[in-house]
Amino acid sequence: MRVDVVLFAHFSGFQPDGKGGRHARAFEFEEGTTIADVIAMLGLPDEPRVIFVNSTHAPEEQELRDGDRLAIFPPVAGG
Amino acid sequence: MREILRVDMSTLQVTREPLPEKWARYGGRALTSAIVYSEVPAGADPLGPENKLVIAPGLLGGTSAPNGGRLSVGAKSPLTGGIKEANSGGTAAHALGKMGIAAIIIEGAPADKTALYALRLFPDGTVDVVRRHDLAGLGAYETVAVAKGIEASEHRMSDKSSFLVIGPSGEMKMKSAGIAVTDPLGHPNRYAGRGGLGAVMGSKGLKLIAIFEEGLKPKQHADKDAFIAAVRKFSGALTTHAVTSQALPTFGTNVLANIINEAGGYPTRNFSSGQFEGVDGISGETMREITVERGGNVKHGCHTGCVIQCSRYYVDEDGHYMTKGPEYESAWSLGANCGIDDMDMVAKLDRKCGEIGIDTIEAGVMLGVYMASGEIAFGDGEAALKALDEIGRGTELGKVLGDGAEATGVKFGVKNIPVVKHQGLPAYDPRPIQGIGVTYATSTMGADHTAGYTITSNVLAVGGTVDPLKPEGQAALSQGLQIATAMLDAMGLCIFVAFAVLDMPEALEAIHEMAAAHTGDDWDVDALMQLGKETLAYERIFNEHAGFTAADDRLPAFFLEEKLPPHDVVFTVTDEELDSVYSFVPEVAEQLGIE
Ligand code: SF4
Repeated sequence: MRVDVVLFAHFSGFQPDGKGGRHARAFEFEEGTTIADVIAMLGLPDEPRVIFVNSTHAPEEQELRDGDRLAIFPPVAGG
Repeated sequence: MREILRVDMSTLQVTREPLPEKWARYGGRALTSAIVYSEVPAGADPLGPENKLVIAPGLLGGTSAPNGGRLSVGAKSPLTGGIKEANSGGTAAHALGKMGIAAIIIEGAPADKTALYALRLFPDGTVDVVRRHDLAGLGAYETVAVAKGIEASEHRMSDKSSFLVIGPSGEMKMKSAGIAVTDPLGHPNRYAGRGGLGAVMGSKGLKLIAIFEEGLKPKQHADKDAFIAAVRKFSGALTTHAVTSQALPTFGTNVLANIINEAGGYPTRNFSSGQFEGVDGISGETMREITVERGGNVKHGCHTGCVIQCSRYYVDEDGHYMTKGPEYESAWSLGANCGIDDMDMVAKLDRKCGEIGIDTIEAGVMLGVYMASGEIAFGDGEAALKALDEIGRGTELGKVLGDGAEATGVKFGVKNIPVVKHQGLPAYDPRPIQGIGVTYATSTMGADHTAGYTITSNVLAVGGTVDPLKPEGQAALSQGLQIATAMLDAMGLCIFVAFAVLDMPEALEAIHEMAAAHTGDDWDVDALMQLGKETLAYERIFNEHAGFTAADDRLPAFFLEEKLPPHDVVFTVTDEELDSVYSFVPEVAEQLGIE
């Protein structure tokens, strides 16, 4: 299945192509792949994260589905 | 002993009086709101002599409390018709605190309506009011430059000075006029922006307040050792929490653009969509990349003692200062809300607002409404700049636009005008982020995100989580945050400390420990929350006297009727829940003996 992965703030440097930036990268994953699997694959640092699948908050154990957009942020705030 | 400095602009007399005992525990917003409640008739004309402009550092102002140098400016608002506290960074609050001033009350109005004055406070305690016609019509930056030159030659004053100034919009008493406050380098780029307080200052014939603090020392503490210990505990928390130690200092407040957009709550083109296709161009990440490449500053505090340091400067292609790195709210209002995706254009608009002295949120919401009318097109930055020029010149059109989003929408027949209590909505759509809708609807300030920043639990997973798309739990979340925020504003603490305070119990403890060690009074968590409740009680009751009812605690109908993409949701918190937010007020009012 195909999933778009977007990473923000200092996480964007963890895209496997090494190019940074906030644009989506398309990945092919096995059926049953969870968000936690993707985080491990990317090697994101072990710190709190805020995760959205298709613009809705999602827990790390959630399984991804074909066509999903997965967005991962480090803890951010402002106002 | 803290003092009140009373400036009568009818007689140009300045007097001092001790801070009344009943307000000994108040600072900042608690004090501005208690004074406005007590001294300004609720029915007063906001631009008439009965209104008063009250300027107060927080209870911790003038000390080394981390992030403790925020300034509160209060009055009856010409925009909302209710009470207002606009909060600003910059160096003025600490300077006033060091002088032992709890509040400046500016009252009356000069008989000569064209007269223009400067109020000056010197380190030896001298205060005077002088005529300053040479400053008439000048932009905020030029005003400071001219004033600094004069003071430097006449009084040999060094750079240890703070200025509060209004631009031409304030002189013309427009309802979106703010009061600019200078930062550590003397740039007038911090704003007590919201609610038209610049117009109140203009109505007093006051163009400038200059505060010279050369040689003044930080205030003494009742228990110095305990104060230092509490300061260490507080700054330890702020420099540990991921948000206050990493995201904010690295990217500034505009780090929010992408996450609010991802959540589908980034109001685009006058609140017609929750996602903006051009968000990356105006995001905090892009702003940082551009600024680093051009050699601009990407991290400093807006006043001494800030350990978070979310501020930055935006520079042009040649590396010259243009404006403060636009805050999230400004980059949104002048960017996404106008369909503009170019950071340089956003910075030009931000600087223009800074020159003419208007609130960037109200300006961007106004421009969004003006674009929705079809008079100018979404995405047309040059036309937006011209519209702001009309305000600066005070043309017939400019006078309408300068009165803000609602005035503009009514004039041009726009259906969807995003305002509550006549004030423009900030950068979070209340349909997919329902908690912030509760704050917009019920805040004593009109639509104001800072009043109860539910984005924390709704989107950012700070201070727990509350599902942003559902109505459940939003009223309680907003109520708790409105009380806590009023307390932080009374202490003079930057509200960004809340991100650490909500997650780390020791940070909240450190606040009451600093207050107790500094003043020698008893403070604990309950006392902190009581301070917040008392502040809100003064505000709420003033607004009731000014004629506000439950009908004013509502969002505009289109947020309940028109679904917002991409989530396709409307605001569903019930009226009963909205009406429950201020349920604590009668009891607190009785304790205070006010009604
Ligand atoms: S965190 Fe930002 S707004 Fe708050 S005091 Fe520091 S520089 Fe000013």
